[in-house]
Amino acid sequence: MKYTIVLFIVFLGLSKSQAQDAIKILQKVDANMASESRIVETKMIINGKRNSRTVISKGYSTGIDKSFTEYLSPDREKGTKMLKLDNRLWIYSPDTDRTIQLSGHMLRQSVMGSDLSYEDMMEDRKLLEIYNASFIGEEILDGRKVWVLQLDAKVEDVSYVKRKTWIDQERYVPLKEELFAKSGQLLKTTTLSDVKKIEGRWFPTKMIYKDELKSGDGTHFEFVSIEFNKEIPDYIFSKASLKK
Amino acid sequence: MKLAFQLAYKNLVGSGLKTWLNVLVLAIAFLTIIFFNGFIDGWHNQAKLDSEEWEIGGGHILNNNYDSSDPFTIQDGHGPILTNEANGLTPILFRQGTIYPSGRMYSALIKGIDVNQNTLKIPTNLLKESAADIPAIIGKRYAKSSKLKVGDEVLMRWRDKNGTFDASNITIVGIFDSNVPTIDVGQIWMPIKKLWEITGLENEATMFVANVGYTSTKMEGWNFQSKEDLLSSLTRIIESKKASGSIMYIFLMGIALLAIFDTQVLSIFRRQREIGTYISLGMTRLQVVKLFTVEGSMYSILATLLGTILGIPLFGYVARTGIGIPEASQNQGVTISDTIYPAFGIGLILSTIILIILSSTIVSFLPARKIAKMDPVNALKGKIQ
Amino acid sequence: MIQFLLKGILRDKSRSILPIIIVSAGVFLTVLLSGYMKGVFGDVIDQSARFDTGHVKVMSRAYAENIDQLPNDLALLGVTEIVGSLKNQYPEMDWVKRIKFGGLIDVIDKEGNSKGQGPVAGLSFELFSGTGKEIKRMNIEKSIVIGRVPLKPNEALISNEFAQKLNLSIGDEVTYIGSTMNGSMAFSVFKICGTITFGVAQMDRGSIIIDVSDAQKILDMEDGAGEILGFQRNDIYQVEEAELISDKFNASYASDPDEFAPMMVSLQKQNDLEFMINYSNSISAILIGFFIFAMSLVLWNTGLLSGLRRYKEFGIRLALGEAKGQIYRTFTYEAIIVGIIGSVIGTVLGVSAVYYLQVVGIDISGMLDQLSSSMMMPSVLRGKITPNLFYIGFVPGLLAMVLGNMLSGLGIYKRQTATLMKELEV
Repeated sequence: MKYTIVLFIVFLGLSKSQAQDAIKILQKVDANMASESRIVETKMIINGKRNSRTVISKGYSTGIDKSFTEYLSPDREKGTKMLKLDNRLWIYSPDTDRTIQLSGHMLRQSVMGSDLSYEDMMEDRKLLEIYNASFIGEEILDGRKVWVLQLDAKVEDVSYVKRKTWIDQERYVPLKEELFAKSGQLLKTTTLSDVKKIEGRWFPTKMIYKDELKSGDGTHFEFVSIEFNKEIPDYIFSKASLKK
Repeated sequence: MKLAFQLAYKNLVGSGLKTWLNVLVLAIAFLTIIFFNGFIDGWHNQAKLDSEEWEIGGGHILNNNYDSSDPFTIQDGHGPILTNEANGLTPILFRQGTIYPSGRMYSALIKGIDVNQNTLKIPTNLLKESAADIPAIIGKRYAKSSKLKVGDEVLMRWRDKNGTFDASNITIVGIFDSNVPTIDVGQIWMPIKKLWEITGLENEATMFVANVGYTSTKMEGWNFQSKEDLLSSLTRIIESKKASGSIMYIFLMGIALLAIFDTQVLSIFRRQREIGTYISLGMTRLQVVKLFTVEGSMYSILATLLGTILGIPLFGYVARTGIGIPEASQNQGVTISDTIYPAFGIGLILSTIILIILSSTIVSFLPARKIAKMDPVNALKGKIQ
Repeated sequence: MIQFLLKGILRDKSRSILPIIIVSAGVFLTVLLSGYMKGVFGDVIDQSARFDTGHVKVMSRAYAENIDQLPNDLALLGVTEIVGSLKNQYPEMDWVKRIKFGGLIDVIDKEGNSKGQGPVAGLSFELFSGTGKEIKRMNIEKSIVIGRVPLKPNEALISNEFAQKLNLSIGDEVTYIGSTMNGSMAFSVFKICGTITFGVAQMDRGSIIIDVSDAQKILDMEDGAGEILGFQRNDIYQVEEAELISDKFNASYASDPDEFAPMMVSLQKQNDLEFMINYSNSISAILIGFFIFAMSLVLWNTGLLSGLRRYKEFGIRLALGEAKGQIYRTFTYEAIIVGIIGSVIGTVLGVSAVYYLQVVGIDISGMLDQLSSSMMMPSVLRGKITPNLFYIGFVPGLLAMVLGNMLSGLGIYKRQTATLMKELEV
């Protein structure tokens, strides 16, 4: 899902400068991956029990608190739009011509049947605001040298108290992330791959998101196209644009 | 009157087998009515008792923000336990969670309960005695649908008070067998202290179960639901069963009374000469009518006697051993135990006796009225009129 | 001979009317009672059939495995073909699609902002089929508090309590939000066409009833259904037949390894209903046995009575020289004829009455609390026509009656010609 990669990448980026290796690494990752704004087209492959579905969407975002997504295919999803402003999320369905603000229980539902919940997309604080980062080692991952960083929550109201992330030492892109429960139980894993050079920066164009507690293959994302730092008019991020 | 009874008795007993068959029919109707009512009363009593013992106690006190019909309110519908008012109250905290038995996902309502409670029959002592890190007990229905057994460890995911995910294995230390599905389906019971610990909701509760005999005191922020409120839907089901039973009694009594009616018609027809004789000996017609009516209602008296003789050992036995009820009845979501012990109250038996005697007297009187219209001379001759 | 007797019976009212009336009445009661008992004891089973299990249920194997979780993602697809072939093979049965689902109902105010939300349990039936069978089966019309059954797409019934909570009235629009079979977000706007009371707290809190085609549409289940229920003739469960049908159906898919292949389960194989069925069968058999016994006594009496009534007639016939055997035979034949006539009349009346009970029923809502007429708690008691109703009345009507007659007729052989004249007081 586009949101996650956006949030994920952006979270890793913007941070207060601290004199630690881990933070320096994260800042470099950010420099590589974050941008003022971006327009992406993503393909999401959801592996269900009996079939796989591919959902294509186009997303616009600026910063980490504003994003707008429009679904392009399949037909059933076409025209469905989502708007996220700060911590609010609206969904517009063209069939019913209704806009619904998702709240509470609904946010825990999975997005389009994927292994990702709406709530996972709602976290909009910067990673280094809510986590302390520390350097815990180096590894070889898929033939690439990586640093392994651990993020521990420094505030209470976070979904995941601990994250682990694997950063490519040469390209400064994350290749893997794990999300943990308080007890230390692994809950979700994100694997990033197919790192390509786009507009002069390295960028992972594939991603597998998996709920580790459930059986199944997880959800695959693919970036079909990415444009960085393109001017996005403000009206895009308004409720009115949902109905257009 | 005494004479009428004596004569009636002699006549009846004198006609032997046929009388006893009629009496038997009436007695069976009598027994069936009592049995059916007793069965339903027994069910009602037990269901009430089961609900009280397993779920209701002396009533529930719910947090004002919690609405039992709306699962969204579980999140915020809790409040701090007020120790000075908590006497005789068992706190229960609700949280939502998910269990993952072998990769499948089942949502669950986690209920933390005071392990030292003895208001409800939920075997919280198993939780107390267990050495497991997070001990849990579940009902047999949930055990069946989630395919969990005692001793199984299963991964449970929940959120703490801040919404932070947590997940850990819980150990099923007991599966309880309760007739009350509403404390079973989709629910996991664990020590409230453990739930406080893992969620950070120290000293919080969603509801309290009151002791039996608890008298409600107004508590700010909490809402008392009496036993009667909580039992109302059960009461409604019982009422409908009683109503459907009462139609059966009408049929049943109809047949028994038809038998008496028929016999009366037969005997009046057969015994015209006897009637003529009575009248010529100086009895008034009314007295003869009375005699025959008494004779008819005598069936019911004999029937209640026979019913009592048959019924006491039979019902005594049934009330002791109970009646097995198919498990499927429980799956309908209604509280019904697998064995019902019928309750035969004195009131029920007496009212049934009165009903039977009264109705059979009426039915005996109807054909006997004919006697009043008879010409005694012809009757004496035995001529058919 | 028979013609002669028949004429006698028809012309001599004292020989015909009273006994026939009594026999008919007795047989009528027996049949009515048996039908009623069958209906009442079949209640639980009937309810389960209507609500959940059908007489047979077809679902995918994977769905059956996880049935407790309403796994619509595992639902059957290509149901038109399955239903079509089932209808071909068993045209006398009613095959209907059902989809159960969950979700949220969102109500918006004039500005389009959400003014209330609540979780709902969704039920969908074939409401638009035109047969009205499902509407009747589910007692929907009687359970409606205000409004009417959905007639066109995007109309819905919602539970009354829920409507009151969200302050909804007829004609209001609500948005359903849930997830499709594939897990996508499902959105749909429904117009409330009525509110309904189930009488079961759990469902009265929040339920929505829509047509199955709407459910397919919103849940993205094109040509899919969670369950296909089969109902046997007149909605009466025939155990053996259901078993046969499901065995045959499953055999035809035995070689298909697909976990989404359809499978059929008969009613008694679902929810542990088998024991329940046997149990209620034996209880109703005991009660019916008792009725027949009691009725036999009554009709036995009738037989005795007719022997007695005609004491004088037999005397005269003996005096005129008819053989005792001859009189006894004619008397017995007459009893048989009367028994048959009475039993036939009684059975016809009884079966019609049971049919009436089956269709209309006895409304006991007056005996119940206000929350009486509801889908779950039948406030209308119904009878049930079963094949044995057509012969059960003959036991007391013919057998007992003839036996009673024959016994009382034995008196003929005891009579002495010598005392005849004196007895007759001619």
